[in-house]
Amino acid sequence: MVDKAQVISLCRSLLRAGRQYPDYNIREYAKRRTLDGFRMNKNLTDHSKVEEAYAEGKKQLEVVERVVKVYLAYPPKTKNIMELKLQ
Amino acid sequence: MALRNALLRHLRVPVQNLAVRGSNQSQIGFLGSMRAFSSHDDHLSKQDVVDRVLDVVKSFPKVDPAKVTPEVHFQKDLGLDSLDTVEIVMAIEEEFKLEIPDKEADKIDSCSLAIEYVFNHPMSS
Repeated sequence: MVDKAQVISLCRSLLRAGRQYPDYNIREYAKRRTLDGFRMNKNLTDHSKVEEAYAEGKKQLEVVERVVKVYLAYPPKTKNIMELKLQ
Repeated sequence: MALRNALLRHLRVPVQNLAVRGSNQSQIGFLGSMRAFSSHDDHLSKQDVVDRVLDVVKSFPKVDPAKVTPEVHFQKDLGLDSLDTVEIVMAIEEEFKLEIPDKEADKIDSCSLAIEYVFNHPMSS
């Protein structure tokens, strides 16, 4: 039985994992994609679909955690222009 | 503590006269001078926390900035849902460079709670 608290916890874990990417573009994409993914399935009532979506989310969390390690091994050498504060 | 801070504020030496300690040069104009040997005891002021938290909430695209006050409730007053609340709390974490554990983050559902949490957290910056 997947309840609301678990879904919120999964969302938070995904957002936190995505925050670790050194690359600005991928970091923003991860945040955007998790929020869009959770919002899209926000109104599901059929329980088997909810379980399916939750399992998919868990799988993506594993992917993100693994890929972050690879990206951290080769961080970008310069800051992306979007990360610089306006002077 | 307050007396010491007040005293130190009067005794502050302009940074240009000090040897460069590798401190962040670009911040000096904004902060005045940074005391070279003080321990980290100057916590954020309440007003500073309030302003920054409100800025974070106002810059959220789904929020109407006119409705944002320090007491506003995310779901009841601003019409956000729990996912939006999660997003806002994450944005607050990023603004103040904090890590809020899930148990605490679940309780933050209004601006006042967010302000209180950040203000009472020793590591906010």
